[in-house]
Amino acid sequence: MSNNGFEPRIVAFMCNWCTYAAADTAGVSRMQQPPNVDVVRVMCTGRVDPAFILKTLALGADGVLVSGCHPGQCHYEKGNLNARRRVTALKPFLDAVGIGQDRLRLEWIAASEAPKVAEVVAEFTETIKRLGPSPFRRRQDED
Amino acid sequence: MTEQYRADVLICTCPACTKAGAPEMQHALKAEVERRGLAGEVRLVETGSRGFCSMGPVVIIRPEGILYCQVHDVDVPELVEETLVKGRIVERLTYKEPETHKAIPHYDEIPFYDKQMRVVTRNCGLINPQNIEEYIAVGGYQALGKVLTSMAPKEIIEEVKKSGLRGRGGAGFPTGRKWEFTRNAPGDVKYLVANGDEGDPGAFMDRSLMEGDPHAILEGMTIGAYAMGAHKGYLYVRDEYPLALRNLNIAMEQAREYGLLGQGILGSSFDFDVQIVRGAGAFVCGEETALLASVEGHAGNPRPRPPYPAQSGLWGKPTNINNVKTWANIPVVISRGADWFNQIGTETSKGTMIFSLVGKVNNTGLVEVPMGITLRELVFDVGGGMRDGKQFKAVQTGGPSGGCIPEELLDLPVDYEHLKEAGSIMGSGGMIVMDENACMVDIARYFLDFLKDESCGKCTPCREGIRQMLSILTRITEGQGEMGDLQVLETLAPVVKEASLCGLGQTAPNPVLSTLRYFRDEYVTHIVDHKCPAGVCKELIEYYVIEDLCTGCGVCRRKCPQEAISGEKKEVHVIDPALCIKCGVCFDVCKFDAVGVR
Amino acid sequence: MATLIIDRQEVHAEEGQTILEVAKENGIEIPTLCYHPLLEPYGACRLCVVEIVAGGRLGLQTACTYPIEEGLEVLTRSPSVIEARKVVLGLLLSRTPNVELIQDLAREYGITEPPFPTDTPDERCILCGHCVRTCHELVKAYVLNFSERGIERRVGPPFLEKTRDCIGCGACTIMCPTGAIETVLEKEAVYKAKPLGPTSAIWVPSMQAIPNVPVIDTDVCIRFRQNDRTEGEIVDACGACQMVCEADAINFDQQDEILELDVGTVIVATGFEMWDPAQLSQYSYGKSPNIITGLEFERLSNAGGITAGEILTAEEKKPEAVAIIHCVGSRDHNAHEYCSRFCCMYSLKQAHLVRDKTDAQVYEFYMDMRTFGSGYEEFYERVQKEEGILMVRGRGAEVSVLEPQNGQKYGKLRVKGEDADLGRPVRVDVDMVVLSSAIEAPHDADEIASMFGLSRKPDGFFAEAHPKMRPVETNTDGVFLAGVTQGPKDVPDTVAHAGAAASMALALMDKGEVTISPQTAVVDEILCAGCKTCISLCPYTAISFIEEIDEKGVARVNEALCKGCGTCAAACPSGAITARHFTDQQILAQIEGLFRVPA
Repeated sequence: MSNNGFEPRIVAFMCNWCTYAAADTAGVSRMQQPPNVDVVRVMCTGRVDPAFILKTLALGADGVLVSGCHPGQCHYEKGNLNARRRVTALKPFLDAVGIGQDRLRLEWIAASEAPKVAEVVAEFTETIKRLGPSPFRRRQDED
Repeated sequence: MTEQYRADVLICTCPACTKAGAPEMQHALKAEVERRGLAGEVRLVETGSRGFCSMGPVVIIRPEGILYCQVHDVDVPELVEETLVKGRIVERLTYKEPETHKAIPHYDEIPFYDKQMRVVTRNCGLINPQNIEEYIAVGGYQALGKVLTSMAPKEIIEEVKKSGLRGRGGAGFPTGRKWEFTRNAPGDVKYLVANGDEGDPGAFMDRSLMEGDPHAILEGMTIGAYAMGAHKGYLYVRDEYPLALRNLNIAMEQAREYGLLGQGILGSSFDFDVQIVRGAGAFVCGEETALLASVEGHAGNPRPRPPYPAQSGLWGKPTNINNVKTWANIPVVISRGADWFNQIGTETSKGTMIFSLVGKVNNTGLVEVPMGITLRELVFDVGGGMRDGKQFKAVQTGGPSGGCIPEELLDLPVDYEHLKEAGSIMGSGGMIVMDENACMVDIARYFLDFLKDESCGKCTPCREGIRQMLSILTRITEGQGEMGDLQVLETLAPVVKEASLCGLGQTAPNPVLSTLRYFRDEYVTHIVDHKCPAGVCKELIEYYVIEDLCTGCGVCRRKCPQEAISGEKKEVHVIDPALCIKCGVCFDVCKFDAVGVR
Repeated sequence: MATLIIDRQEVHAEEGQTILEVAKENGIEIPTLCYHPLLEPYGACRLCVVEIVAGGRLGLQTACTYPIEEGLEVLTRSPSVIEARKVVLGLLLSRTPNVELIQDLAREYGITEPPFPTDTPDERCILCGHCVRTCHELVKAYVLNFSERGIERRVGPPFLEKTRDCIGCGACTIMCPTGAIETVLEKEAVYKAKPLGPTSAIWVPSMQAIPNVPVIDTDVCIRFRQNDRTEGEIVDACGACQMVCEADAINFDQQDEILELDVGTVIVATGFEMWDPAQLSQYSYGKSPNIITGLEFERLSNAGGITAGEILTAEEKKPEAVAIIHCVGSRDHNAHEYCSRFCCMYSLKQAHLVRDKTDAQVYEFYMDMRTFGSGYEEFYERVQKEEGILMVRGRGAEVSVLEPQNGQKYGKLRVKGEDADLGRPVRVDVDMVVLSSAIEAPHDADEIASMFGLSRKPDGFFAEAHPKMRPVETNTDGVFLAGVTQGPKDVPDTVAHAGAAASMALALMDKGEVTISPQTAVVDEILCAGCKTCISLCPYTAISFIEEIDEKGVARVNEALCKGCGTCAAACPSGAITARHFTDQQILAQIEGLFRVPA
């Protein structure tokens, strides 16, 4: 289980209206969650270019989380549907290049679902811990 | 055609004669005529009834005008031999006067016909109703021709008014005035209806007319349609008259073929056609508004009047309803004229009336007499007097809703007003003659029982009132009556009469009221003495053997279903009242009149 | 116009009127049974007979059917009329000796006992035909009719068999003057005794309804039901309301009007619905008409309600004991977890009202008293001290319906709970139970949400932009929330909330200009390849295709419409679109920043 203190670095692209607000609430409510996630706020998950995800992984992230409003509730109507399509298209590529699609997760978290933020973060952190460090990861401790 | 025939043999095919054996006799006649090689000289004609129903099967031979009674197939060879070949009269087949037993072979000399004036039934029994040419030959459709070529509708109505003809269905409303209402009612669509429902039990005047001379009705209706501006007529015939329905249908088809019905009648621009609607077994559908409801497809419930059918009838349109007998009067009124017509009858009731004279008279059947004839003449002359020498007690006129008229009123002239004053009605023409063996309380009860079943049940006085009156009368006939019952009847009956919705309820109390008026003592005897003087009410009578007359033949003992009679051969028999169920079989079978009722 | 004489006085009448109608107009009483103003005259009972002495068909005629004519002379109480009415009533009383209506009428004419032997003591039908005529003329279902004739005459469906053609409208039951007909609902129907609901298909919901006019419930109204049921064949059934409306104000043909308005601000004030207590079967809601919700109690005690404000049980008697149970469906893991906020106050008020209007003993079952507002605590103390009100601190756990006793129609109600202060179970038998039941978001809240881009909170009510700082705004500019739509609140709070929403909306409108976010997208027309990918993706149709620029046509963003989601920027294969303030460079810089090795 514990990989000698391997602490995953996860970057989460969160949409401003739903998941970011939920994360904010989770924080304010002092909901417990592991500290492994760094947040990049976008206005809508539709803004997330697959290039960003690849860049993030290339720079050494162990996992990428893309999270936004539930389909049908996107603040911009259907931006999240584009995100879904892009993530779905990207996943086989990640498998093909040996990164593994499990390092990319798409999740829908509404603004009222603060507990779910904590849950998902905890779960995904566990998943990445099990998967181990990303093949791209620089051994920072070596530097 | 008929030129080569030297004799017509008219055979009555009405249901009564049919039941008595007319078809077999007719079959035999045909065979015998052929056998004797007379087929080209003697014509056999099937006709409707000439009214002499107790004498059926009836055969009339023309041109002599001989009437033979109760002719059966076994009589045929003699009839053909004697009368058709040799021109002689077969006395045993002729009518015999009841008292003198004198033979009267010619039909226009028979007293039964002597006092009659057969206007409406002019053709019944004399023509073949299934052949329109016979109707035309005796002057049929002349009136229609006259109307369409030379009379305006208003003139026709004036003529009918002048004739004084009143509705023959029972109410007796002046026909001409009724026609005028319908004519004057606003609207282009108008209907005519002929009421052939004849619900009175045992009545058969309308039936004989529809069977025996259907064209008379059709012609009358067509004339009426022209006068009132109607183009569609309905003939409402009760379903229990299959022969009438058949003959009417044949008549309608033939009339259409001959251009006397349908489009462009007699080449004019006038259209009129008739449709038959069959009744479904309800006495109340003889009431005009109930009849209209039935034609419309609803249950036969009467509707309040006003508005009258002349304003709002079938489907809300002006409708003129007349009884079939009334319609059959019309051609005569037109062809012989109102002045001729209104010479017949009394001041208020013009023309003739057809009665079914039945009951305890010698000559039962259909008679047509001028209005104003007295009851005495009807019973004793036309009817040939009381049967079996019994005493006259009462005559019930007008059907089940009529009243009973006692002996002291025998000289009453028969017309609408007099009958009403006497507490009865003209009705459709029923006339039931009763002798001393009729119990007036039971008669009233019997008719109320009929009316209770036939009431439509819509209005309170009729439905509940008849029920209660019947219950009281039943109690009285069972010996459970109380003196207070008479007061109750006399309170209830007038209200039922005054407040009921239709004629059924309004006339239902007549039997009760008239018997109470003329035979009150009989009611009292039932209530106080627990006796039935006429020996009818089972609970109150006793059958006993008249010792002086009993010969001990034992027939009654053997026939008694309860074995209540005992006695040795050749010794006076005795009836045990405890076992006797009052079935009356012993009374009927005793050849010595040794069984009495008290 | 015609002149006729009734009871020796001259009256005037219009053509087409009947004697009965004219008599009524002139204050002359004529008794009737089979007559009904909505139905065609029938003339069957014969009770309304009057005597025509001149000018028409002489003798006794029914006033309800006889059309007036000029010169008619009528007597409405002549000896023969009175005699006839006596006999008719005597006959009817003998037929239906236990029908109160007939007994009363007969007594007026001096008849106290059935004058004829009566063998049908249980008969209630007087064959007046109201039911049949209603079914034919008004409802137009043509189900009921008379069968048989004479004394066998009876009312029923064809062959006296149940038929699917009966629409169960109950009109026959309502029209029957003697209570001879019962409408029986079949098993599948969920029967809820609703004594406080509408009494007919057309009704004014309450005295304070705005607008204060009747409405027709088209699910119940016979006319609409027949129209739907027969697919437009029968379009004119009933219409009784239109017949009697003197202002001619009823229009069955009204259609929903769809109004299209262009607005810049929307205030959502869609309120709440009562949660259905039948969902928790331990409260037995629906099993007795004496178990009602708090809202139903409000209706009951309202002076404009069906009891004119009296507190009465379904047997129309004042209760001797009433239980009020708090938190039914609120604060409940099996129903709604949240608190409905205002029930404590109204429950106390209702207890107080019960004591004011009756002498009933009141049991108030509560968990906590949430009487937080101005003067609320003081009110609570006052009610606590009031005589006849017993406060039980413990949740009312169960309400059961007991068997009816002593000829009652409905059984008493047994409430079980716990008195937590005393640590003892409590059981009381009462005549009426008021459930202070939860409120919840309306059933169509999701539809409203997607219409206006709203999201719902866990409690189901619409989400405000910020729980502390922005209570009336939503995440969508220009859309505001007012009142309970945003969460349970009582009247003063609702007024404040709504006032705030109104002010913010006004402020927005008043500005005349709208400031828009600078976060918009812009197309570099040189880089743009004219592929049109972005155009189809934009949910606001903010991008249009401009022909003939550079021979290929380019996309161009309308900044007023653009909301700045950035989808187009992410999709552009040429990288020609910049999402201002969330540019690729900015985001990539963020990502890089996360992984920069510290110097």
